[in-house]
Amino acid sequence: MSQQSRTLPAPGQAAVRNRRLLEILGAVSIAATFIFLVLTQPADITNGLAGGSTLVALGGFLLGAILLIIGVLPTLPTSTLVLIPVALVLNIALGQIMGSTGLPFYCDAIGTVLIAVLAGPAAGAATGALSSVVWSFINPTVLPFAAGAALIGFLAGLAARYGLFRRFYLAPVAGFVTGILAGVVSAPIAAFVFGGTSGVGTGAIVSAFRAMGDTLLAAITKQALISDPMDKAIVFAVVAMLAYALPRRTTLQFAFVRRFNVLAGKKREAPDA
Amino acid sequence: MPARLNPPAAPNPLTALAAAVAAAAITTAVSSWAVSLAVALACAMLAVRSGVAGRLAPAAAVILAPFWLSLLVMHGLFFPEGRTVLADWGAARVTAEGLGFALDMGARTAAYVMVFLLFSFTVRVPDLVAVMAARRVPPQFGYVLASTLTLAPAISGKLARIRQAQESRGLVLGGGPLRRLAAARLQMVPLVLSLIEDAGERAQALDARGFNGSRTRTSYRDVPDTAAQRAFRAVALLLAAAAVALRLSGQWPELQGFPLQGFAMLWPGGVPG
Repeated sequence: MSQQSRTLPAPGQAAVRNRRLLEILGAVSIAATFIFLVLTQPADITNGLAGGSTLVALGGFLLGAILLIIGVLPTLPTSTLVLIPVALVLNIALGQIMGSTGLPFYCDAIGTVLIAVLAGPAAGAATGALSSVVWSFINPTVLPFAAGAALIGFLAGLAARYGLFRRFYLAPVAGFVTGILAGVVSAPIAAFVFGGTSGVGTGAIVSAFRAMGDTLLAAITKQALISDPMDKAIVFAVVAMLAYALPRRTTLQFAFVRRFNVLAGKKREAPDA
Repeated sequence: MPARLNPPAAPNPLTALAAAVAAAAITTAVSSWAVSLAVALACAMLAVRSGVAGRLAPAAAVILAPFWLSLLVMHGLFFPEGRTVLADWGAARVTAEGLGFALDMGARTAAYVMVFLLFSFTVRVPDLVAVMAARRVPPQFGYVLASTLTLAPAISGKLARIRQAQESRGLVLGGGPLRRLAAARLQMVPLVLSLIEDAGERAQALDARGFNGSRTRTSYRDVPDTAAQRAFRAVALLLAAAAVALRLSGQWPELQGFPLQGFAMLWPGGVPG
Protein backbone atom coordinates (compact mmCIF):
# COMPACT_ATOMS: atom_id res chain seq x y z
CA MET A 1 0.00 0.00 0.00
CA SER A 2 1.33 3.40 -0.89
CA GLN A 3 1.42 6.33 1.50
CA GLN A 4 -1.38 8.21 -0.26
CA SER A 5 -3.96 5.44 0.08
CA ARG A 6 -4.21 5.76 3.85
CA THR A 7 -6.73 8.53 3.61
CA LEU A 8 -9.35 8.98 0.96
CA PRO A 9 -8.53 11.92 -1.29
CA ALA A 10 -10.72 14.94 -0.59
CA PRO A 11 -12.94 15.76 -3.56
CA GLY A 12 -11.44 18.56 -5.64
CA GLN A 13 -12.75 22.08 -5.57
CA ALA A 14 -14.02 21.64 -9.13
CA ALA A 15 -16.00 18.52 -8.23
CA VAL A 16 -17.67 20.29 -5.31
CA ARG A 17 -18.52 23.24 -7.55
CA ASN A 18 -19.93 20.93 -10.22
CA ARG A 19 -22.19 19.21 -7.72
CA ARG A 20 -23.39 22.49 -6.28
CA LEU A 21 -24.12 23.57 -9.87
CA LEU A 22 -26.14 20.39 -10.47
CA GLU A 23 -28.19 21.01 -7.32
CA ILE A 24 -28.90 24.60 -8.34
CA LEU A 25 -29.75 23.57 -11.90
CA GLY A 26 -32.12 20.93 -10.56
CA ALA A 27 -33.92 23.44 -8.33
CA VAL A 28 -34.06 25.98 -11.17
CA SER A 29 -35.44 23.37 -13.55
CA ILE A 30 -38.24 22.51 -11.14
CA ALA A 31 -39.08 26.13 -10.40
CA ALA A 32 -38.94 27.17 -14.07
CA THR A 33 -41.17 24.26 -15.11
CA PHE A 34 -43.74 25.19 -12.50
CA ILE A 35 -43.76 28.87 -13.48
CA PHE A 36 -43.93 27.98 -17.17
CA LEU A 37 -46.87 25.65 -16.62
CA VAL A 38 -48.84 28.15 -14.57
CA LEU A 39 -48.15 31.06 -16.93
CA THR A 40 -48.54 29.46 -20.34
CA GLN A 41 -51.18 26.83 -19.91
CA PRO A 42 -54.31 28.78 -20.94
CA ALA A 43 -53.14 29.34 -24.51
CA ASP A 44 -51.65 25.88 -24.71
CA ILE A 45 -54.58 23.96 -23.36
CA THR A 46 -57.09 25.17 -25.95
CA ASN A 47 -55.50 22.81 -28.47
CA GLY A 48 -56.29 19.90 -26.21
CA LEU A 49 -54.43 18.72 -23.16
CA ALA A 50 -52.24 16.74 -25.54
CA GLY A 51 -49.90 19.58 -26.22
CA GLY A 52 -46.64 20.60 -24.73
CA SER A 53 -47.89 20.96 -21.15
CA THR A 54 -47.66 17.26 -20.40
CA LEU A 55 -44.23 16.90 -21.94
CA VAL A 56 -42.93 20.05 -20.29
CA ALA A 57 -44.33 18.99 -16.91
CA LEU A 58 -42.85 15.50 -17.18
CA GLY A 59 -39.53 16.57 -18.65
CA GLY A 60 -38.85 19.61 -16.50
CA PHE A 61 -39.80 18.07 -13.16
CA LEU A 62 -38.02 14.79 -13.89
CA LEU A 63 -34.88 16.53 -15.11
CA GLY A 64 -34.83 18.62 -11.94
CA ALA A 65 -35.25 15.56 -9.75
CA ILE A 66 -32.51 13.64 -11.56
CA LEU A 67 -30.08 16.57 -11.37
CA LEU A 68 -30.78 16.82 -7.63
CA ILE A 69 -30.13 13.10 -7.18
CA ILE A 70 -26.87 13.18 -9.16
CA GLY A 71 -25.72 16.33 -7.40
CA VAL A 72 -26.53 15.33 -3.83
CA LEU A 73 -26.09 11.56 -3.73
CA PRO A 74 -22.28 11.35 -4.02
CA THR A 75 -21.83 13.93 -1.26
CA LEU A 76 -23.77 11.98 1.37
CA PRO A 77 -21.79 10.07 4.01
CA THR A 78 -22.31 6.31 4.04
CA SER A 79 -24.23 6.44 7.32
CA THR A 80 -26.83 8.64 5.64
CA LEU A 81 -26.81 6.72 2.38
CA VAL A 82 -27.68 3.39 4.00
CA LEU A 83 -30.67 5.08 5.64
CA ILE A 84 -32.18 6.07 2.30
CA PRO A 85 -33.38 2.56 1.33
CA VAL A 86 -34.78 2.26 4.86
CA ALA A 87 -36.60 5.57 4.36
CA LEU A 88 -38.00 4.48 1.01
CA VAL A 89 -39.34 1.26 2.46
CA LEU A 90 -40.71 3.18 5.47
CA ASN A 91 -42.57 5.46 3.06
CA ILE A 92 -44.35 2.35 1.80
CA ALA A 93 -44.60 0.24 4.99
CA LEU A 94 -45.70 3.01 7.36
CA GLY A 95 -48.14 4.18 4.73
CA GLN A 96 -49.65 0.72 4.92
CA ILE A 97 -49.86 0.78 8.74
CA MET A 98 -51.55 4.17 8.58
CA GLY A 99 -53.89 2.69 5.99
CA SER A 100 -54.84 -0.10 8.40
CA THR A 101 -55.82 2.48 11.04
CA GLY A 102 -58.62 3.55 8.73
CA LEU A 103 -57.64 7.22 8.77
CA PRO A 104 -58.17 9.10 5.49
CA PHE A 105 -54.52 10.11 4.99
CA TYR A 106 -51.79 8.56 2.88
CA CYS A 107 -48.67 9.38 4.94
CA ASP A 108 -46.26 8.27 2.22
CA ALA A 109 -43.50 10.72 3.11
CA ILE A 110 -42.62 9.63 6.64
CA GLY A 111 -39.27 8.11 5.64
CA THR A 112 -38.35 11.14 3.55
CA VAL A 113 -39.10 13.56 6.37
CA LEU A 114 -37.26 11.37 8.90
CA ILE A 115 -34.10 11.44 6.74
CA ALA A 116 -34.47 15.20 6.30
CA VAL A 117 -34.67 15.71 10.06
CA LEU A 118 -31.67 13.48 10.73
CA ALA A 119 -29.46 14.41 7.77
CA GLY A 120 -30.51 17.80 6.44
CA PRO A 121 -32.29 19.47 3.51
CA ALA A 122 -30.03 18.16 0.71
CA ALA A 123 -30.33 14.57 1.90
CA GLY A 124 -34.08 15.06 2.32
CA ALA A 125 -34.49 16.39 -1.21
CA ALA A 126 -32.45 13.54 -2.68
CA THR A 127 -34.41 11.00 -0.64
CA GLY A 128 -37.72 12.42 -1.80
CA ALA A 129 -36.72 12.34 -5.45
CA LEU A 130 -35.18 8.87 -5.11
CA SER A 131 -38.28 7.64 -3.34
CA SER A 132 -40.39 8.48 -6.39
CA VAL A 133 -37.86 6.99 -8.81
CA VAL A 134 -37.52 3.69 -6.94
CA TRP A 135 -41.21 3.45 -6.06
CA SER A 136 -42.03 3.83 -9.75
CA PHE A 137 -40.65 0.31 -10.24
CA ILE A 138 -43.79 -0.85 -8.42
CA ASN A 139 -46.18 2.01 -9.27
CA PRO A 140 -45.08 4.09 -12.28
CA THR A 141 -47.63 6.84 -11.58
CA VAL A 142 -45.57 8.22 -8.67
CA LEU A 143 -42.56 8.98 -10.92
CA PRO A 144 -43.84 12.35 -12.23
CA PHE A 145 -44.32 13.57 -8.64
CA ALA A 146 -40.58 13.31 -7.91
CA ALA A 147 -40.15 17.09 -7.78
CA GLY A 148 -42.91 17.52 -5.20
CA ALA A 149 -41.40 14.76 -3.06
CA ALA A 150 -37.98 16.44 -3.30
CA LEU A 151 -39.54 19.72 -2.17
CA ILE A 152 -41.11 18.00 0.86
CA GLY A 153 -37.72 16.56 1.87
CA PHE A 154 -35.97 19.88 1.36
CA LEU A 155 -38.51 21.88 3.37
CA ALA A 156 -38.52 19.31 6.16
CA GLY A 157 -34.74 19.60 6.36
CA LEU A 158 -34.96 23.39 6.52
CA ALA A 159 -37.58 23.15 9.29
CA ALA A 160 -35.29 20.84 11.27
CA ARG A 161 -32.32 23.10 10.74
CA TYR A 162 -34.11 26.16 12.07
CA GLY A 163 -35.25 24.34 15.19
CA LEU A 164 -38.90 23.66 14.38
CA PHE A 165 -38.50 20.08 15.62
CA ARG A 166 -37.26 21.24 19.04
CA ARG A 167 -40.83 21.98 20.10
CA PHE A 168 -43.33 19.23 19.50
CA TYR A 169 -46.15 21.63 18.61
CA LEU A 170 -44.08 23.44 15.96
CA ALA A 171 -43.47 20.33 13.85
CA PRO A 172 -47.09 20.00 12.61
CA VAL A 173 -47.10 23.72 11.80
CA ALA A 174 -44.01 23.26 9.63
CA GLY A 175 -45.71 20.24 8.06
CA PHE A 176 -48.82 22.27 7.31
CA VAL A 177 -46.80 24.94 5.47
CA THR A 178 -44.80 22.27 3.63
CA GLY A 179 -48.05 20.63 2.58
CA ILE A 180 -49.36 23.87 1.08
CA LEU A 181 -46.24 24.36 -1.05
CA ALA A 182 -45.95 20.69 -2.01
CA GLY A 183 -49.62 20.52 -2.94
CA VAL A 184 -49.37 23.59 -5.17
CA VAL A 185 -46.28 22.18 -6.93
CA SER A 186 -47.79 18.73 -7.42
CA ALA A 187 -51.16 19.93 -8.70
CA PRO A 188 -49.96 20.72 -12.27
CA ILE A 189 -48.61 17.17 -12.53
CA ALA A 190 -51.93 15.67 -11.54
CA ALA A 191 -53.74 18.02 -13.91
CA PHE A 192 -51.51 17.91 -16.99
CA VAL A 193 -50.03 14.42 -16.84
CA PHE A 194 -52.91 12.39 -15.47
CA GLY A 195 -55.90 14.66 -15.99
CA GLY A 196 -57.08 13.98 -12.45
CA THR A 197 -56.17 12.38 -9.16
CA SER A 198 -55.82 8.67 -8.60
CA GLY A 199 -57.83 8.18 -5.41
CA VAL A 200 -61.60 7.95 -5.50
CA GLY A 201 -61.82 10.12 -2.36
CA THR A 202 -59.62 12.90 -3.71
CA GLY A 203 -61.43 12.54 -7.04
CA ALA A 204 -64.71 13.29 -5.28
CA ILE A 205 -63.29 16.54 -3.87
CA VAL A 206 -61.99 17.55 -7.31
CA SER A 207 -65.39 16.74 -8.80
CA ALA A 208 -67.07 18.99 -6.24
CA PHE A 209 -64.91 21.95 -7.28
CA ARG A 210 -65.42 21.14 -10.96
CA ALA A 211 -69.18 21.12 -10.39
CA MET A 212 -68.81 24.70 -9.15
CA GLY A 213 -67.21 25.57 -12.48
CA ASP A 214 -63.51 25.59 -11.57
CA THR A 215 -60.88 24.80 -14.16
CA LEU A 216 -59.19 21.43 -13.80
CA LEU A 217 -55.94 22.90 -12.48
CA ALA A 218 -57.77 25.18 -10.05
CA ALA A 219 -59.93 22.29 -8.81
CA ILE A 220 -56.95 19.97 -8.30
CA THR A 221 -54.97 22.74 -6.59
CA LYS A 222 -57.85 23.37 -4.18
CA GLN A 223 -58.16 19.65 -3.51
CA ALA A 224 -54.41 19.52 -2.81
CA LEU A 225 -54.77 22.48 -0.46
CA ILE A 226 -57.40 20.53 1.48
CA SER A 227 -55.62 17.16 1.65
CA ASP A 228 -51.89 17.89 1.63
CA PRO A 229 -51.40 20.33 4.54
CA MET A 230 -53.31 18.04 6.94
CA ASP A 231 -51.45 15.01 5.66
CA LYS A 232 -48.04 16.65 6.00
CA ALA A 233 -48.88 18.05 9.44
CA ILE A 234 -49.60 14.48 10.55
CA VAL A 235 -46.43 13.18 8.87
CA PHE A 236 -44.27 15.82 10.57
CA ALA A 237 -45.88 15.07 13.94
CA VAL A 238 -45.29 11.33 13.46
CA VAL A 239 -41.66 11.96 12.53
CA ALA A 240 -41.17 14.20 15.57
CA MET A 241 -42.60 11.40 17.70
CA LEU A 242 -40.30 8.87 16.08
CA ALA A 243 -37.24 11.11 16.36
CA TYR A 244 -37.81 11.54 20.10
CA ALA A 245 -38.59 7.84 20.57
CA LEU A 246 -35.23 6.90 19.06
CA PRO A 247 -32.36 6.58 21.52
CA ARG A 248 -30.28 9.74 21.74
CA ARG A 249 -27.20 7.66 20.93
CA THR A 250 -28.75 6.92 17.53
CA THR A 251 -29.89 10.42 16.62
CA LEU A 252 -26.64 12.02 17.74
CA GLN A 253 -24.74 9.85 15.24
CA PHE A 254 -25.84 12.35 12.61
CA ALA A 255 -23.62 15.39 12.17
CA PHE A 256 -26.61 17.48 11.06
CA VAL A 257 -28.46 16.74 14.32
CA ARG A 258 -25.39 17.61 16.40
CA ARG A 259 -24.42 20.73 14.47
CA PHE A 260 -27.80 22.44 14.35
CA ASN A 261 -29.09 21.03 17.63
CA VAL A 262 -32.13 19.70 15.77
CA LEU A 263 -33.76 17.87 18.66
CA ALA A 264 -34.38 19.33 22.08
CA GLY A 265 -32.24 17.86 24.85
CA LYS A 266 -34.16 15.29 26.86
CA LYS A 267 -32.93 16.43 30.25
CA ARG A 268 -33.14 20.16 29.85
CA GLU A 269 -36.37 20.60 27.91
CA ALA A 270 -38.60 17.65 27.31
CA PRO A 271 -40.79 17.81 24.17
CA ASP A 272 -44.29 18.97 25.01
CA ALA A 273 -45.78 15.73 23.82
CA MET B 1 -15.71 -15.05 -19.50
CA PRO B 2 -19.00 -15.36 -17.68
CA ALA B 3 -20.99 -18.46 -18.41
CA ARG B 4 -23.77 -17.90 -20.92
CA LEU B 5 -26.62 -18.60 -18.57
CA ASN B 6 -28.89 -15.97 -20.04
CA PRO B 7 -30.72 -16.79 -23.22
CA PRO B 8 -29.34 -14.52 -25.94
CA ALA B 9 -32.80 -13.03 -26.41
CA ALA B 10 -32.63 -11.12 -23.09
CA PRO B 11 -31.94 -7.52 -24.08
CA ASN B 12 -29.50 -5.24 -22.37
CA PRO B 13 -31.30 -3.33 -19.56
CA LEU B 14 -30.41 -0.05 -21.26
CA THR B 15 -32.12 -1.21 -24.44
CA ALA B 16 -35.27 -2.06 -22.52
CA LEU B 17 -35.11 1.26 -20.67
CA ALA B 18 -34.61 3.22 -23.91
CA ALA B 19 -37.52 1.38 -25.49
CA ALA B 20 -39.75 2.13 -22.48
CA VAL B 21 -38.81 5.81 -22.35
CA ALA B 22 -39.23 6.20 -26.10
CA ALA B 23 -42.60 4.44 -26.07
CA ALA B 24 -43.86 6.62 -23.20
CA ALA B 25 -42.57 9.85 -24.78
CA ILE B 26 -43.96 9.07 -28.24
CA THR B 27 -47.34 8.00 -26.82
CA THR B 28 -47.56 11.26 -24.86
CA ALA B 29 -46.53 13.31 -27.88
CA VAL B 30 -49.02 11.59 -30.22
CA SER B 31 -51.72 11.87 -27.56
CA SER B 32 -54.41 9.85 -29.26
CA TRP B 33 -56.41 7.37 -27.23
CA ALA B 34 -56.22 4.82 -30.05
CA VAL B 35 -52.43 4.90 -30.09
CA SER B 36 -52.32 4.78 -26.27
CA LEU B 37 -54.58 1.74 -26.17
CA ALA B 38 -52.51 0.07 -28.89
CA VAL B 39 -49.32 0.64 -26.86
CA ALA B 40 -50.98 -0.72 -23.70
CA LEU B 41 -52.19 -3.78 -25.62
CA ALA B 42 -48.76 -4.34 -27.14
CA CYS B 43 -47.27 -4.23 -23.63
CA ALA B 44 -49.85 -6.75 -22.43
CA MET B 45 -48.94 -9.09 -25.28
CA LEU B 46 -45.22 -8.71 -24.58
CA ALA B 47 -45.91 -9.43 -20.90
CA VAL B 48 -47.71 -12.63 -21.80
CA ARG B 49 -44.85 -13.64 -24.10
CA SER B 50 -42.18 -13.00 -21.46
CA GLY B 51 -44.19 -14.78 -18.78
CA VAL B 52 -44.73 -11.87 -16.36
CA ALA B 53 -48.42 -11.36 -17.16
CA GLY B 54 -49.45 -13.14 -13.96
CA ARG B 55 -47.65 -10.57 -11.81
CA LEU B 56 -48.16 -7.57 -14.07
CA ALA B 57 -51.92 -7.83 -14.44
CA PRO B 58 -52.80 -7.44 -10.71
CA ALA B 59 -50.16 -4.72 -10.25
CA ALA B 60 -51.56 -2.73 -13.16
CA ALA B 61 -55.16 -3.33 -12.06
CA VAL B 62 -54.47 -2.04 -8.54
CA ILE B 63 -53.09 1.20 -10.01
CA LEU B 64 -55.45 1.70 -12.93
CA ALA B 65 -58.86 0.60 -11.62
CA PRO B 66 -59.27 3.37 -8.97
CA PHE B 67 -57.72 5.87 -11.38
CA TRP B 68 -60.18 5.06 -14.16
CA LEU B 69 -63.09 5.14 -11.76
CA SER B 70 -61.95 8.50 -10.44
CA LEU B 71 -61.55 9.89 -13.99
CA LEU B 72 -64.96 8.61 -15.02
CA VAL B 73 -66.71 10.25 -12.06
CA MET B 74 -64.64 13.43 -12.31
CA HIS B 75 -64.92 14.15 -16.02
CA GLY B 76 -67.89 12.02 -16.96
CA LEU B 77 -70.23 13.85 -14.57
CA PHE B 78 -68.54 17.22 -14.10
CA PHE B 79 -66.96 18.86 -17.13
CA PRO B 80 -67.91 22.54 -17.16
CA GLU B 81 -66.15 23.05 -20.51
CA GLY B 82 -68.35 20.45 -22.20
CA ARG B 83 -70.80 21.59 -24.90
CA THR B 84 -72.51 18.41 -26.08
CA VAL B 85 -74.73 17.48 -23.15
CA LEU B 86 -75.81 13.84 -23.17
CA ALA B 87 -77.62 13.80 -19.84
CA ASP B 88 -78.37 16.51 -17.29
CA TRP B 89 -78.98 15.83 -13.60
CA GLY B 90 -78.79 19.23 -11.97
CA ALA B 91 -75.17 19.82 -10.95
CA ALA B 92 -73.97 16.72 -12.78
CA ARG B 93 -73.92 16.83 -16.57
CA VAL B 94 -72.68 14.01 -18.76
CA THR B 95 -70.96 15.59 -21.75
CA ALA B 96 -69.34 14.02 -24.79
CA GLU B 97 -66.27 16.20 -24.29
CA GLY B 98 -65.92 15.06 -20.69
CA LEU B 99 -66.18 11.39 -21.60
CA GLY B 100 -63.69 11.93 -24.43
CA PHE B 101 -61.27 13.63 -22.07
CA ALA B 102 -61.59 10.80 -19.54
CA LEU B 103 -60.96 8.26 -22.31
CA ASP B 104 -57.92 10.23 -23.55
CA MET B 105 -56.37 10.51 -20.10
CA GLY B 106 -57.28 6.99 -19.01
CA ALA B 107 -55.79 5.42 -22.14
CA ARG B 108 -52.63 7.52 -21.94
CA THR B 109 -52.03 6.66 -18.29
CA ALA B 110 -52.75 2.99 -19.02
CA ALA B 111 -50.08 3.01 -21.73
CA TYR B 112 -47.62 4.78 -19.43
CA VAL B 113 -48.24 2.37 -16.53
CA MET B 114 -48.07 -0.74 -18.72
CA VAL B 115 -44.84 0.36 -20.44
CA PHE B 116 -42.97 1.02 -17.22
CA LEU B 117 -44.38 -1.94 -15.32
CA LEU B 118 -43.34 -4.20 -18.20
CA PHE B 119 -39.85 -2.71 -17.96
CA SER B 120 -39.56 -3.05 -14.18
CA PHE B 121 -40.99 -6.59 -14.13
CA THR B 122 -38.74 -7.90 -16.90
CA VAL B 123 -35.49 -6.10 -16.08
CA ARG B 124 -32.87 -7.86 -13.97
CA VAL B 125 -32.09 -5.29 -11.31
CA PRO B 126 -28.47 -6.48 -10.74
CA ASP B 127 -27.83 -6.14 -14.49
CA LEU B 128 -29.37 -2.68 -14.50
CA VAL B 129 -27.23 -1.59 -11.55
CA ALA B 130 -24.06 -3.00 -13.16
CA VAL B 131 -24.77 -1.27 -16.46
CA MET B 132 -25.49 2.05 -14.74
CA ALA B 133 -22.31 1.84 -12.66
CA ALA B 134 -20.34 1.25 -15.86
CA ARG B 135 -21.96 4.39 -17.32
CA ARG B 136 -20.69 6.58 -14.45
CA VAL B 137 -24.04 6.87 -12.73
CA PRO B 138 -23.08 7.38 -9.06
CA PRO B 139 -22.74 3.90 -7.48
CA GLN B 140 -24.87 5.20 -4.61
CA PHE B 141 -27.89 5.24 -6.92
CA GLY B 142 -27.46 1.59 -7.77
CA TYR B 143 -27.08 0.77 -4.08
CA VAL B 144 -30.29 2.59 -3.13
CA LEU B 145 -32.25 1.02 -5.98
CA ALA B 146 -31.12 -2.56 -5.40
CA SER B 147 -31.21 -2.26 -1.62
CA THR B 148 -34.76 -0.89 -1.53
CA LEU B 149 -36.13 -3.52 -3.88
CA THR B 150 -34.60 -6.32 -1.79
CA LEU B 151 -35.41 -4.68 1.56
CA ALA B 152 -39.12 -4.19 0.90
CA PRO B 153 -40.15 -7.87 1.25
CA ALA B 154 -37.81 -8.33 4.23
CA ILE B 155 -39.39 -5.41 6.06
CA SER B 156 -42.95 -6.62 5.68
CA GLY B 157 -41.78 -9.87 7.30
CA LYS B 158 -40.15 -7.90 10.09
CA LEU B 159 -43.32 -5.88 10.60
CA ALA B 160 -45.37 -9.07 10.91
CA ARG B 161 -42.95 -10.40 13.57
CA ILE B 162 -43.11 -7.13 15.52
CA ARG B 163 -46.89 -7.19 15.43
CA GLN B 164 -46.96 -10.80 16.67
CA ALA B 165 -44.50 -9.99 19.45
CA GLN B 166 -46.55 -6.98 20.56
CA GLU B 167 -49.79 -8.93 20.35
CA SER B 168 -48.31 -11.62 22.55
CA ARG B 169 -47.62 -8.82 25.08
CA GLY B 170 -51.23 -7.72 24.98
CA LEU B 171 -51.44 -5.32 22.01
CA VAL B 172 -55.00 -5.20 20.71
CA LEU B 173 -55.49 -4.08 17.12
CA GLY B 174 -58.74 -2.26 16.54
CA GLY B 175 -60.94 -0.17 18.78
CA GLY B 176 -61.30 3.60 18.71
CA PRO B 177 -59.03 5.94 16.76
CA LEU B 178 -56.86 6.73 19.79
CA ARG B 179 -56.30 3.04 20.52
CA ARG B 180 -55.49 2.45 16.88
CA LEU B 181 -52.95 5.27 16.94
CA ALA B 182 -51.39 3.84 20.09
CA ALA B 183 -51.24 0.43 18.41
CA ALA B 184 -49.59 1.97 15.35
CA ARG B 185 -47.01 3.64 17.60
CA LEU B 186 -46.23 0.34 19.32
CA GLN B 187 -45.46 -1.16 15.92
CA MET B 188 -43.71 1.77 14.30
CA VAL B 189 -41.16 2.63 16.97
CA PRO B 190 -39.60 -0.87 17.20
CA LEU B 191 -39.66 -1.16 13.40
CA VAL B 192 -37.87 2.15 12.82
CA LEU B 193 -35.42 1.49 15.64
CA SER B 194 -34.38 -1.90 14.33
CA LEU B 195 -34.14 -0.59 10.76
CA ILE B 196 -31.86 2.27 11.78
CA GLU B 197 -29.79 -0.12 13.87
CA ASP B 198 -29.36 -2.46 10.88
CA ALA B 199 -28.50 0.46 8.62
CA GLY B 200 -25.70 1.50 10.98
CA GLU B 201 -24.16 -1.96 10.70
CA ARG B 202 -24.41 -1.88 6.91
CA ALA B 203 -22.73 1.53 6.86
CA GLN B 204 -19.72 0.15 8.72
CA ALA B 205 -19.53 -2.84 6.38
CA LEU B 206 -19.72 -0.61 3.30
CA ASP B 207 -17.19 1.87 4.66
CA ALA B 208 -14.79 -0.96 5.47
CA ARG B 209 -14.94 -1.94 1.80
CA GLY B 210 -14.26 1.56 0.52
CA PHE B 211 -17.74 2.17 -0.86
CA ASN B 212 -17.38 5.94 -0.84
CA GLY B 213 -14.02 5.90 -2.59
CA SER B 214 -13.80 7.85 -5.80
CA ARG B 215 -11.84 5.23 -7.76
CA THR B 216 -13.60 3.40 -10.56
CA ARG B 217 -14.15 -0.27 -9.87
CA THR B 218 -14.25 -3.32 -12.05
CA SER B 219 -17.38 -5.44 -12.06
CA TYR B 220 -17.84 -9.18 -11.89
CA ARG B 221 -21.02 -8.88 -13.85
CA ASP B 222 -20.61 -8.61 -17.59
CA VAL B 223 -23.87 -7.57 -19.25
CA PRO B 224 -23.91 -8.45 -22.95
CA ASP B 225 -24.51 -5.66 -25.41
CA THR B 226 -24.57 -5.78 -29.19
CA ALA B 227 -24.08 -3.26 -31.97
CA ALA B 228 -27.65 -3.86 -33.09
CA GLN B 229 -28.94 -2.94 -29.61
CA ARG B 230 -26.80 0.19 -29.54
CA ALA B 231 -28.24 1.20 -32.90
CA PHE B 232 -31.78 0.43 -31.69
CA ARG B 233 -31.28 2.63 -28.61
CA ALA B 234 -30.01 5.52 -30.70
CA VAL B 235 -32.92 5.25 -33.14
CA ALA B 236 -35.53 4.91 -30.37
CA LEU B 237 -34.26 7.93 -28.45
CA LEU B 238 -33.92 10.00 -31.66
CA LEU B 239 -37.50 9.15 -32.63
CA ALA B 240 -38.71 10.09 -29.15
CA ALA B 241 -36.78 13.37 -29.25
CA ALA B 242 -38.18 14.14 -32.70
CA ALA B 243 -41.76 13.43 -31.57
CA VAL B 244 -41.34 15.60 -28.46
CA ALA B 245 -39.74 18.43 -30.47
CA LEU B 246 -42.51 18.27 -33.06
CA ARG B 247 -45.18 18.44 -30.35
CA LEU B 248 -43.48 21.22 -28.40
CA SER B 249 -42.97 23.36 -31.50
CA GLY B 250 -46.69 23.13 -32.22
CA GLN B 251 -46.11 21.64 -35.68
CA TRP B 252 -47.78 18.33 -34.87
CA PRO B 253 -50.14 17.24 -37.65
CA GLU B 254 -53.56 16.74 -36.10
CA LEU B 255 -54.21 13.09 -36.87
CA GLN B 256 -57.48 12.62 -35.10
CA GLY B 257 -58.69 16.15 -34.50
CA PHE B 258 -60.65 15.36 -31.37
CA PRO B 259 -62.79 18.42 -30.69
CA LEU B 260 -61.54 19.84 -27.42
CA GLN B 261 -61.76 23.47 -28.45
CA GLY B 262 -64.21 24.22 -25.70
CA PHE B 263 -61.70 23.02 -23.15
CA ALA B 264 -60.23 26.39 -22.27
CA MET B 265 -58.72 26.37 -18.81
CA LEU B 266 -57.57 29.56 -17.20
CA TRP B 267 -55.48 29.93 -14.07
CA PRO B 268 -56.60 30.24 -11.37
CA GLY B 269 -60.31 30.98 -11.68
CA GLY B 270 -61.26 30.31 -15.26
CA VAL B 271 -64.73 31.07 -16.60
CA PRO B 272 -66.44 27.94 -17.87
CA GLY B 273 -67.93 28.14 -21.33
